[in-house]
Amino acid sequence: MTTTLEHTPTKGAARGGGIMRRLNFLTGIIGGVLVAALFYFIARETLDQGSQTFVDTLTTLTGVGWVIGFWLGIGAFTGVGRWFIGKDQNHDDEMYLAGKDLGRARYWKYTTDHKVVGVQYVIVTMVLLAAGGILAMALRTELITPGAHFVNPQIYNAFISVHGMVMIVALIVAVAGPWANFVVPIMVGARDMAFPRLNALSLWTLVAAIPLLLGSLCVGGLSMGWVTQAPISEQAGPGMDLFALAIITFAISTTVAGVNTICTVLTMRTKGMTLERLPIFVWSSLIAAALGLYAFPFFLVVMALNVVDRTTGTSFFIASGGGTGWLQENLFWLMGHPEVYVILLPAVGALLEITTVFSRKPLFSYRTAVGGMAALAGLSVLVWAHHMFQTGWAPTLGGPFMLTTELISIPTGIVFLVILGTLWRGNIWMKLPMYWVFGFVFDFLIGGVTGIYLSDIPVDNQMHGTMFVVAHFHYVFVGSVLFGAIAALCFWFPKMTGRFLDEKLGKISFWLTFVGVQVTFLSMFVSGLRGMPRRYASYAIIFEHTNFISTIGAYIIMAGMLVLLGAIIQSWRSGEPSGPNPWSSKTLEWLVPTPVPLENFEVLPVITADPYTYGEELVNS
Amino acid sequence: MATSNDNKKAIYSIFWIWLVITIVGVLISIKAPAWLMPTSASSSMHLVIETIVVFSVAAAPVAALVYATTLYALVKWRWRGDGVPPDGPNLRNNSTLTAVWIVSSTMLTIFLLIWGLAALAVDEGGGNGKNPMTVNVTGQQWAWSFTYPGTHVASNELYLPVNDKITFNVTSKDVVHGFWIVQMGVKVNANPGVSTTVSVTPNKIGTYDIRCTEICGLYHAYMVTRVHVLSDTAFAKWLSSQPSRA
Amino acid sequence: MSRARAMVIALVSIVSGGVVMALMGFGLASAAPHQAPQNAKYLGMTTVTVGGKSVSLKHVALTIGTFPDSLFGVHGAGGGTHPDWVSYSSSNLVVPAHSLVTMTINQYDSGGPLNNPFFANVFGTVGGTATVDGKVVTKVDPSAIGHTFTLRGIPQNATPLFVSVPLPENFATDTPLTIGEGQYSKPVVVTFSFVTGTKGIYNWNCEFPCGGSRIGQFGQAMSTYGYMSGTLTVK
Repeated sequence: MTTTLEHTPTKGAARGGGIMRRLNFLTGIIGGVLVAALFYFIARETLDQGSQTFVDTLTTLTGVGWVIGFWLGIGAFTGVGRWFIGKDQNHDDEMYLAGKDLGRARYWKYTTDHKVVGVQYVIVTMVLLAAGGILAMALRTELITPGAHFVNPQIYNAFISVHGMVMIVALIVAVAGPWANFVVPIMVGARDMAFPRLNALSLWTLVAAIPLLLGSLCVGGLSMGWVTQAPISEQAGPGMDLFALAIITFAISTTVAGVNTICTVLTMRTKGMTLERLPIFVWSSLIAAALGLYAFPFFLVVMALNVVDRTTGTSFFIASGGGTGWLQENLFWLMGHPEVYVILLPAVGALLEITTVFSRKPLFSYRTAVGGMAALAGLSVLVWAHHMFQTGWAPTLGGPFMLTTELISIPTGIVFLVILGTLWRGNIWMKLPMYWVFGFVFDFLIGGVTGIYLSDIPVDNQMHGTMFVVAHFHYVFVGSVLFGAIAALCFWFPKMTGRFLDEKLGKISFWLTFVGVQVTFLSMFVSGLRGMPRRYASYAIIFEHTNFISTIGAYIIMAGMLVLLGAIIQSWRSGEPSGPNPWSSKTLEWLVPTPVPLENFEVLPVITADPYTYGEELVNS
Repeated sequence: MATSNDNKKAIYSIFWIWLVITIVGVLISIKAPAWLMPTSASSSMHLVIETIVVFSVAAAPVAALVYATTLYALVKWRWRGDGVPPDGPNLRNNSTLTAVWIVSSTMLTIFLLIWGLAALAVDEGGGNGKNPMTVNVTGQQWAWSFTYPGTHVASNELYLPVNDKITFNVTSKDVVHGFWIVQMGVKVNANPGVSTTVSVTPNKIGTYDIRCTEICGLYHAYMVTRVHVLSDTAFAKWLSSQPSRA
Repeated sequence: MSRARAMVIALVSIVSGGVVMALMGFGLASAAPHQAPQNAKYLGMTTVTVGGKSVSLKHVALTIGTFPDSLFGVHGAGGGTHPDWVSYSSSNLVVPAHSLVTMTINQYDSGGPLNNPFFANVFGTVGGTATVDGKVVTKVDPSAIGHTFTLRGIPQNATPLFVSVPLPENFATDTPLTIGEGQYSKPVVVTFSFVTGTKGIYNWNCEFPCGGSRIGQFGQAMSTYGYMSGTLTVK
């Protein structure tokens, strides 16, 4: 089969690619804006402008136009389109798509190479964390003393809602995005993921969702938290439509990514890589992806029903029309609880991987670790109504949900067992990633224990909806997951860039962040214990000291994160060169050169042992 | 795997660190909750504080174990040389330890669960006050209003007689609100179109806070009012002095 | 890299990031909608019976209006971004502490039934009454209400206030008055007085479902700052 080229290739440039040669992020944006404008004008002319649902329908259609236009503009479905019309992509086209010989430009295009997608995810995660962090600083500054200061309560409510959602999205992709993409295929001995084009699709769909999410702030924002409970979500302005659309888009992205990860791990392992020889990070990515595949469709459904209610006048969630807000709450939390384990498991997997390398010891109790993670994921689908103890929905189900929620503490305890067992009598190498591991242990214990308090119904009757809950989940999200994400970055930075992330700057960042987390959120526990509800734009004077301290702590965290950003920029450009395996790790990604060749392995390896053979030389030689 | 001398030494030192942290933790667990939390104005709230104390005391040794081990690891097993450290011992698992860990964490969980279920059962009726009374609570954006069925009294602040069992029928006129009497440890959501119920027996005279706990829009933070718990005679006097509003 | 260089990079990161965020914060704060405060007019000293005792207080007056649209001026030319939304004439009221505040509200809007008849009662005023077009009332017909003025707060200084006055429906159909860019009928005039305590910021809003959306009609104007809600600053 011959390729049809539009022009003579220049020296060194790849052949093939077709229309993909001309498409990139910029054309994606242009396409998105054009189609959004098109849908906007068509909708405005054809819809009944006086109806109550006009603005919502208009906004929704404009948002849909943006996503479709972005996809078209970046060439997301070129491969499918070409197959459809009988002009399949050939090898040269696919090499072009994989970014062969494209240099820096491949990061701006619809590139299928999983390593490029991994780097793109690092950038996107940083953008999301920055946006969420700026919102956090805004709302923490507003709360520095009681009373309204520089924004009114409506703007404050919009801040907290978007902060919550942006951070949740950021954390869902923080470890799974960059590292499940960059590292997992190499770790299992494959040349790329099972579906490389879907890989690029998942990343660019996420990018398409971000303007929708942040754009909701510009059209009146959201006033009801990221949980967008009905019926208040039906009362909100057009910001809610953009938000719902952002979630639906994001759910598509994660579903695609999850399918890709599962298929890669199950079908593309190299010879000898049995399931028992898989690195623990691969297991955690697999389990998290499977759990996400179960959970995120609920999110898509609840947002879709919300949009349908808002745009067509149905009453799924409206009591006066025969529906019920409880339906929304159930659907949401059916997603919401498994989702936090989708967030947690990849971070835990990365931290366990790091612990083995930096203690120079095998993973303690490998099967128990895998079983514990699977049990965590399995149990997490049974606990959702612990977010609904006070809704009045099903008082008789309080006991059973209390049971399942408390049972989750057992597999969570297994995580600690595995970490402590791996550290036990190891030779602990205190390099930068290990700092974050110890920070994780400290924070995750506090986060986990306070979760147990909340699982008890009488205590939850007091603590639900207070800052105690906020402090609990921030200890888990910031103190545990974010620490895991940063540890993963520090760990795999040399493989991704060929340079070390600077140790000194990293340590400054660590101490600032770690101390900041304790100051901010321990004080927040006290706010909650004393009776301060959450999502309050202004609070009673008895809470002023604890809030002031929390705000100072937030500034300390901000300083730590800014130093980390400085470290990343400095190290990426001119950090100390690291060589291919600076940590002397045994997982496959460290045994390939840096920079990793396009197809990962010259010759696919044959595996004879798991990557935790530390201390075995004497036994086996 | 046989416990070698290294293991024994480590366990011995960790034990002492663990003991210190546990004792400190238990002391804080006993003292801190009552000090930090609002005054208790009902048996339900008392149960809440008690439960927090018990859970904290139970959590202290667990936290101490994790912290003691990691502290010891950081100090004793830290590699202080240059370059990549040599490999550690090939300790892949210890079935006994794993089994003991899982069994004891399960037992601890079951204990906490039984405590929680017992607390729920005891508190199920909302305390054992005499003269049961009903108050209808209506939440709307952004104010609470209270009516007393059987009378024409309606008020924006809640008045209750002490030591009587009060049952609240809570509903909303628009979106979901959270009805929370802070010092009594009761909370139930106000949903539109349905009525949810919660009961409590206030056991201390005084003025306490009611705050909304489900974000309900613009003035969610200002949807705050007060509850006055009065003696029986003072309550009767208040009730009869109210104009007919409902 | 040397420790000094690391410190420098760290500091530069923190300072530049902080500056960027501070700029964004200031930009946001100035872009957020603010209304100029409407101060109460000083009338003189007066004696009022408060809690059984006679006290001498400053007497101030405040006059505001409730309009069926946003064309009367405070939202800018053309009625601002939502000219068809109902609106209070001001969302930023200022009164002195320890005074008797007499409020006059000119109600220009039509109305309907309240969704909670509780708010058809008068709460928290001196004498528990309000005057509607000259007639003294303690409650009005809950099926013909235009808006309410519901003021509440238990702010940091702990003098709680709860004042709620229903503003009856304006049935007039002709619109002879011109205020700003809008045409309005003769208003229903509601007057009431209440006593302020110590300094603090209180919030008020309308409790009549006059906004948009299917949920209790509390969306749009009712849920957007500056239309059907505001602050009362007691200085």
